[in-house]
Amino acid sequence: MTDAKNASEKPKVLLTVDNLGVHYKTRFGQTVQAVDGVSFSLAQGKVFGIAGESGCGKSTLVNGVMSLFIPPLFYSYGSVVVDGEDITKYDSERLRVEILGKKISMIPQGALNSLNPTRKVKHFATDVMRNHEKNLSKAEIYDRLEDRFEAIGLDPRVLNMFPIELSGGMKQRVVIGISTLMNPHVVIADEPTSALDVSTQKSVIRMLLDLMERKIFGSMIFITHELPLLYHVADDIAVMYKGKFVEVGESDQVIFRPRHEYSKQLMEAITKLSTTGERHSEGARL
Amino acid sequence: MKQFKLLCKSPWFVFGAAMFLFCIFVGVLYPMFSHTDPLLRGALPFEGPSREHWLGTNGEGQDMFSALLFGLRSSLFVGIAAGIFATIIGTVIGIVGGYKGGWVDNVLTLITNLFMVIPSILVLILIANSIEKRSMLLVAFIIGATTWPWTARAVSAQTSSLKNREHVSLAKLNGYGIVSILFMQILPYIMSYVFMVFIIQMATGILEEAAISMMGLGPYDSVTLGQIINQAQKTEAFSNGNWWAFMPATVLITALQFSLYVVNTSMEGIFNPRLRKES
Repeated sequence: MTDAKNASEKPKVLLTVDNLGVHYKTRFGQTVQAVDGVSFSLAQGKVFGIAGESGCGKSTLVNGVMSLFIPPLFYSYGSVVVDGEDITKYDSERLRVEILGKKISMIPQGALNSLNPTRKVKHFATDVMRNHEKNLSKAEIYDRLEDRFEAIGLDPRVLNMFPIELSGGMKQRVVIGISTLMNPHVVIADEPTSALDVSTQKSVIRMLLDLMERKIFGSMIFITHELPLLYHVADDIAVMYKGKFVEVGESDQVIFRPRHEYSKQLMEAITKLSTTGERHSEGARL
Repeated sequence: MKQFKLLCKSPWFVFGAAMFLFCIFVGVLYPMFSHTDPLLRGALPFEGPSREHWLGTNGEGQDMFSALLFGLRSSLFVGIAAGIFATIIGTVIGIVGGYKGGWVDNVLTLITNLFMVIPSILVLILIANSIEKRSMLLVAFIIGATTWPWTARAVSAQTSSLKNREHVSLAKLNGYGIVSILFMQILPYIMSYVFMVFIIQMATGILEEAAISMMGLGPYDSVTLGQIINQAQKTEAFSNGNWWAFMPATVLITALQFSLYVVNTSMEGIFNPRLRKES
């Protein structure tokens, strides 16, 4: 009885990545295995953090999870299961119609440049909705847009503005608003705060967690190269190195009791203030 | 709107645009209200300018003033339509090739290069010669179908540099289809360039129409500026010194070209930030 109750309370798994491998093919015919045998799953209401140095394959993994295999990136092996179906088997049109923006959405790196400077915010947002729900009337679209923009703490008047009229933080919020318009199962935030100042970073992260709490989206993969930031955001953390997960665990364990040598060095590499006030840092030596 | 205001501050733009709009105004209005048939042989051949015939008559006794303004309307129609056809064909081929890349781009570039190396006037003559009944619209289409390659090449180059921009990636990630990406994300970015290309294509259309009409391969259903010169050539107006039979049409073609050229260069001065003089 208790087991059955526990099972019913167990949050629904929204995404399962199993032994995923993706590779690049270079111009000279060489194969570079950028992601190698990565596995994890993501349940409703959970945040999965991925940390690692630049070039370790975090962003390539994101493309793999979204099954966006655009040459020179190619699928090698493994599966990405969403709603019981392996989306690595989908063709690009099915992926576009059924998955992108609808079930898995992404807040890209460099979100500050992610808005088309020649178009008003409302046009971009309207196109996203029309691409998924063709029969929506103009009034319905604007009602939903206004609701969503209020939810992300933006005045609906922003809809009538061009990106050049917005501040960095506002642009970031607009991109988040657009990426979550279709209430996706999973949002992948690829270094969403790297170009923002500390206070704006904080408010953006708070907003993302709030949107998830309000079930505007189901769960989140948060990618960053700042391991300590993940402690405040993620339930579980994976440390990535050379295309592999070298350590996966609960955020407390990975941050305070890292087991793998690379995770330890990543934590040690953080600039600290010593008790005497001196700054010192140690680089990762792997 | 801001750029249009800037354009209106450019004296050359205002001059060129006013000249071209005046030509359109006269070319459209005169034939609507005139009761003179430009094909009516109502006077003696090669009568000099007079009160009845302001620009004299041609070798067939037709009033040159009427012929000139009816011809202006037809040439403008052919030029504008040819400009639209060439701009649409060039933009679609360029934007699709530039965005898709790979074999699609290779095939489209091959076609573009083929059209580029074959002299367009030759193709134009061959096609026009093989079709007996050439309406104005058909002539415009033939011109448009042979003058698009430069547009395609430039649009393709711009598209391949734009397709990796972050806003295009965001659109892709949110499920935009290819048509939406091309026309909602990339085209607005290059619209000012495409509009400038349209102006040049229009000028080319007017000139090419004059060229093939001079050879007697122009539209069969109307008088055009090129046909006026062709008529003058056939009736030996050049050797007889009957300047009124060909000079006004020549001046009008030159004026149209000049006005469009001035509009284009002044637009480039505004749309190209490197050339823009900040006030």
